[in-house]
Amino acid sequence: MERFVQLAVDGLATGSIYALLALAIVLVHRATGLINFAQGSMAVFSTYVAFAFVQSGLPVWLAIVCAVVGSFVFGAFVERVVIRRFEGGSHDVAVVVTVGLFVLLAGLSGTIWSYNHREFPSLFPLESVSVGGAHVGLRNLGTIVVTILVMGLLQLLFLKTKLGLALRAVSGAPTSAALSGIPVGRMLMIGWGLAAALGAVGGALVAPKLFLTPSMLDFVLVYALAAAILGGLDSPVGAVVAAWFIGVAENLAGGYIPFIGDDLKIAVPMALMFLILVIRPQGLFGRKQVVRV
Amino acid sequence: MTTTQTSPAPARARLSEWWQRRWVRIAAVVLVALIALGAPLNLTQYAVYQVTMMAAFAVAVLGLNIIMGYGGQVSLGQAAFLGLGAYVSAYGVTHGWNIVLVFVAACLVPAVVGWLIALAAARLRGLAIAMVTITLPIVGIPLARRFDEVTGGSGGLTVSFMQAPEWTGLATDQWRYYVVLAVTVAFFLLARNFLRGRMGRALAIVRDNESVALAMGVSPYRYKVLAFTVSALYGGCAGFLYLVGVQYVSPETLSFATSINILAAMVIGGSASILGSLLGGVYYVLVPFVAGQVNPSRAAMYSGIILLVILFVLPGGLTSLPRALRRLRRRRDDGPGTRSTAAAGPADDGGTQAEASSQTERQQR
Repeated sequence: MERFVQLAVDGLATGSIYALLALAIVLVHRATGLINFAQGSMAVFSTYVAFAFVQSGLPVWLAIVCAVVGSFVFGAFVERVVIRRFEGGSHDVAVVVTVGLFVLLAGLSGTIWSYNHREFPSLFPLESVSVGGAHVGLRNLGTIVVTILVMGLLQLLFLKTKLGLALRAVSGAPTSAALSGIPVGRMLMIGWGLAAALGAVGGALVAPKLFLTPSMLDFVLVYALAAAILGGLDSPVGAVVAAWFIGVAENLAGGYIPFIGDDLKIAVPMALMFLILVIRPQGLFGRKQVVRV
Repeated sequence: MTTTQTSPAPARARLSEWWQRRWVRIAAVVLVALIALGAPLNLTQYAVYQVTMMAAFAVAVLGLNIIMGYGGQVSLGQAAFLGLGAYVSAYGVTHGWNIVLVFVAACLVPAVVGWLIALAAARLRGLAIAMVTITLPIVGIPLARRFDEVTGGSGGLTVSFMQAPEWTGLATDQWRYYVVLAVTVAFFLLARNFLRGRMGRALAIVRDNESVALAMGVSPYRYKVLAFTVSALYGGCAGFLYLVGVQYVSPETLSFATSINILAAMVIGGSASILGSLLGGVYYVLVPFVAGQVNPSRAAMYSGIILLVILFVLPGGLTSLPRALRRLRRRRDDGPGTRSTAAAGPADDGGTQAEASSQTERQQR
């Protein structure tokens, strides 16, 4: 039982990281109908920026906040300068553009901060507390709590503010939104900025665990994609639930099924994603889209 | 079609006018053939190895082009098929199979795997294939490490085969080059015929409008599955050629980065273009090498910059360069304000389109 609780909490914590990145993917998808394959490398870049702030002597939390704000600006900038040009065209080309961004940003991180592993200081103490006999790391609990907080804030933003209403209007019906005077372009920038900021939070939370390298989030990105698909690409709640589910499921499968072990547990979410796509292409929480020709 | 930068027209439609003349084409083909045949006799061993790799990766890029450039389905898993082909070849070689059998297996095993994946993935619209295929290299690496009695684990497999026969009097690297070249040429010719016929036109209509394809009795599902299977087969063949050149395969071969680089090479060479695939193979080997000579730690950054610049400036890839230059020159001649109507024509039926558009161009002048 203790082992179960421990594995489950660990899974929830990694699932929270997937959730942040999956949320970012969903935000971008809702705003621009794109899958941003550069989401992970953008987040890594932000984490490196936070790392640079820490090295220049800022306290960890302040460095992370600065990096998150910077990421927001950077995400908006990327949307305006790079992505805007390819919007409305074929999605395939736009996706290749995000792949190009992925290569560029990973290369840039490597060029500036080298490909060596860096140690990123943890926001939370390394001690663990005892919950029902199981040792649960404070870092894991902290990650989960921060994720829930961020999601709550996001939900508030989307449901209770005028800005959130405008964002939802743009993602739902861009033409009507434009006709009612909403600056669509600016909303898209905000959507991308929010996504980049979410990624930065995720990167900073996971960096102490994984060590900071330019390819740190490549695997996490795939998990996040799986979560976003499982949840149905347009549902933020679905993405988060799916991400937690994936985190816990892979951890339990890795812990209890000897054949899977630690190295093959990445195959678990992939198999799940594959199954879901085949059986229920709109995702567990998504709505089926009917297109009229 | 008004989306100039989004729908890549085939190279045929973009080649310049003099290219339409028959003798120019024949002369060019003969010249290229002479260079390709004579190259290994005059190059250093390392250069021969690099040219061999260009040919091998050109096949991989061509495979990706079939599903992505012609079929319009983004695939991020080409390296997985390349790696699978290389592993199958290595397995066959170490178990003393006949070399022809090794080659056939290296092509067919990835093709069957690709077919099974496509059966599921092609049911989905939009970017689903991209998201399914991105998982292939990511899952492939731990799988390759795990089954180490077959794959040699993290250390990989070193093989030694394809030595030059006595009668040729060639060095081994030269012999390998000729073998790879022969297979590459054969596969390029096959793809050319394949894509110029019924299949190519069907794929173009599936890419451009699935509803129209359906209305015309072309099943998008079947053609997507077919294109993906062929693409996986080409990936497997490239894996065999890769093993011939490198004589070594490890989990790194099927890494995500390889997939991304193959995709970048395809876009930079020219999407939906046979010639572009060849240029892509050259790019794949040459540019990281040159960038590495300048500064190895910046190689990734440079390839990202090149990819983005190409997408912004030359969306049709390098093969569209002559056409883009011509358009630029004409615009300068005409002065500002006149716009060329002969932007990228519909992607299918490239040959007549090129002639038609070059006629309109002449009339405009």
